[in-house]
Amino acid sequence: MIASLNAYRYRIWLPASRAPRVLIGLIAALMLALAWGATSGALGISPWALLTGNADALSVQVWWQLRLPRLLLGVVVGAMLAGSGAAMQGLFRNPLADPTLLGLASGAGLFVALWIVLFQGSGAASLYGQFAAGFLGALSVCVIVFSLAKRQGGGSAAVMTLLLAGLAINTLAGAGGGLLAFIASDEELRQLSLWGMGSLTNSLWRTTALALVLMPLALWLLLRSASELDLLQLGETTAHAAGLDAPRLKRRIVVATSLGVGLCVALTGVIGFLGLLVPHCLRLWLGPGHRLLLPASMLGGALLLVVADTLARTLGAPAEIPVGLLTSLLGGPYFLYLLMRRSRSC
Amino acid sequence: MLTLHQAGLLATPALAPLDGSIRPGELLAIVGPNGAGKSTLLSMLSGFRPAEQGELHLDGKPLREWPISELASRRALVAQQEPLGFDWRVDELVCLGCNPEQSLVAELLDDLDLTHLATRSVLSLSGGERQRVMVARGACQLLSRRSPTAKDGGLLLLDEPTSALDIGQQQRLMRQLRAWAVQRHMAVVCVLHDLNLAGTYADRVWLMHQGKRIDHGLPHQVLNPATIADVYAAELQHVEGGTQGKPLLALMP
Repeated sequence: MIASLNAYRYRIWLPASRAPRVLIGLIAALMLALAWGATSGALGISPWALLTGNADALSVQVWWQLRLPRLLLGVVVGAMLAGSGAAMQGLFRNPLADPTLLGLASGAGLFVALWIVLFQGSGAASLYGQFAAGFLGALSVCVIVFSLAKRQGGGSAAVMTLLLAGLAINTLAGAGGGLLAFIASDEELRQLSLWGMGSLTNSLWRTTALALVLMPLALWLLLRSASELDLLQLGETTAHAAGLDAPRLKRRIVVATSLGVGLCVALTGVIGFLGLLVPHCLRLWLGPGHRLLLPASMLGGALLLVVADTLARTLGAPAEIPVGLLTSLLGGPYFLYLLMRRSRSC
Repeated sequence: MLTLHQAGLLATPALAPLDGSIRPGELLAIVGPNGAGKSTLLSMLSGFRPAEQGELHLDGKPLREWPISELASRRALVAQQEPLGFDWRVDELVCLGCNPEQSLVAELLDDLDLTHLATRSVLSLSGGERQRVMVARGACQLLSRRSPTAKDGGLLLLDEPTSALDIGQQQRLMRQLRAWAVQRHMAVVCVLHDLNLAGTYADRVWLMHQGKRIDHGLPHQVLNPATIADVYAAELQHVEGGTQGKPLLALMP
């Protein structure tokens, strides 16, 4: 059954010449979503008034201090989660690899929670400490999962082990988180639960600015690996003979995804399923070549998160639904649907 | 040209040191029973497992000193079937790892009787069809990345390329490998289980047994019923009158 999880049966082929148009289309859609997100919310702001300088002081302040950093954060976090999903799927040669399923996100989450409860400082130190904790958490899970996968070789046994390892890590991290919540003070508890639901609420310029510097670095590392990821799909021996330095590629992907996902989790909590959902849908349409799939996934992830966050802000305005809940509500059923379709087809 | 000077592997699976050379324009068959070390030998020849004793030279330079990317324009490998995670289209897969002219891709697909499958998903193909796609990919890598000024066509290593093919396709593939060796001046190394294929199409044969090369030479010298019966622990009969004096072995009932 697991072997057939790897097969797509309903791929729609898109001619390669359409590739630039796909990317342009995605960029255009992202722009539209940003424009929509920028103007809607608890406080309606007219873009025209902002541009001409006729907006009242409150609107200007809300727009500059709250809405803009939040939108930008949504773009980089969405791009990072979907991009690292696509890259990990390529690395494990398996369409089910995803930062949440494999436990990367919850590992990062556990480390961030540890930091909040045990070492919480104040101001900038606490913020950067959170980032570092997230990165370390994601990196250690990535290394564990990867060495497990390596020991198992390729094939369906490895897939099973990966998913089980992810399950174990998620459970462990959940228990660890519960334990931390148990010993946390009231103030820490509030902070933990606010952060843990997965939302972009916590976006201020000082957090967004750091994300805007570090995430493009991770994204660039992933984009650079696109054609090497294609080669890796041939299997390691053949890929080596075709000119691939596989260990270097793996190190680069592991570092980039851990950095990116760790940062995302430290900033926004766990926003699930984006890394699974976006590359999956796009692969059905664009094919498995990473040179198109990676940038398209990044754009698609950014688009989906900006839209989901805007919905989260507006559906119950002035209250806010955590966007992580929305994406999980969307992604969970999709994952179940994938499993059901596969088991029917074999 | 690949030359071996007492090259061998110490760690399991080990390989006793061996000498020899693989020359452009010839088809070398590696045969031997299951677990004889054929694939291990191939992986040493490709440089994936560097020799732990002795030395291999490719085009006059030690194999381990070639940069990976440079090596890819001098030798290609068609491994035994690995599961593919994603559904590449046949023509996309053939171009992986190289940037060939469209005419070359069309020619290769035609050579291997794959033209009608060019836009199909690889996962929808049968085992034999997929095997031919992988052979086309290996050849494509070598033919498109080889520098036009090179004196020979490079080294093509294949691990049991005929294991899933029907006899018609086996013949077509072996003839094609010969054609690449002769016309493109490639050195072709082919691990084969079918001794009659090796006898019919190979210029030379290496016989492997328990991690050692126990015999090598012309097909009719190596593939004699006595040696083969001994190595494979099989009862065989030499059929006289094989085409053009090529050895032909049949199983005894």
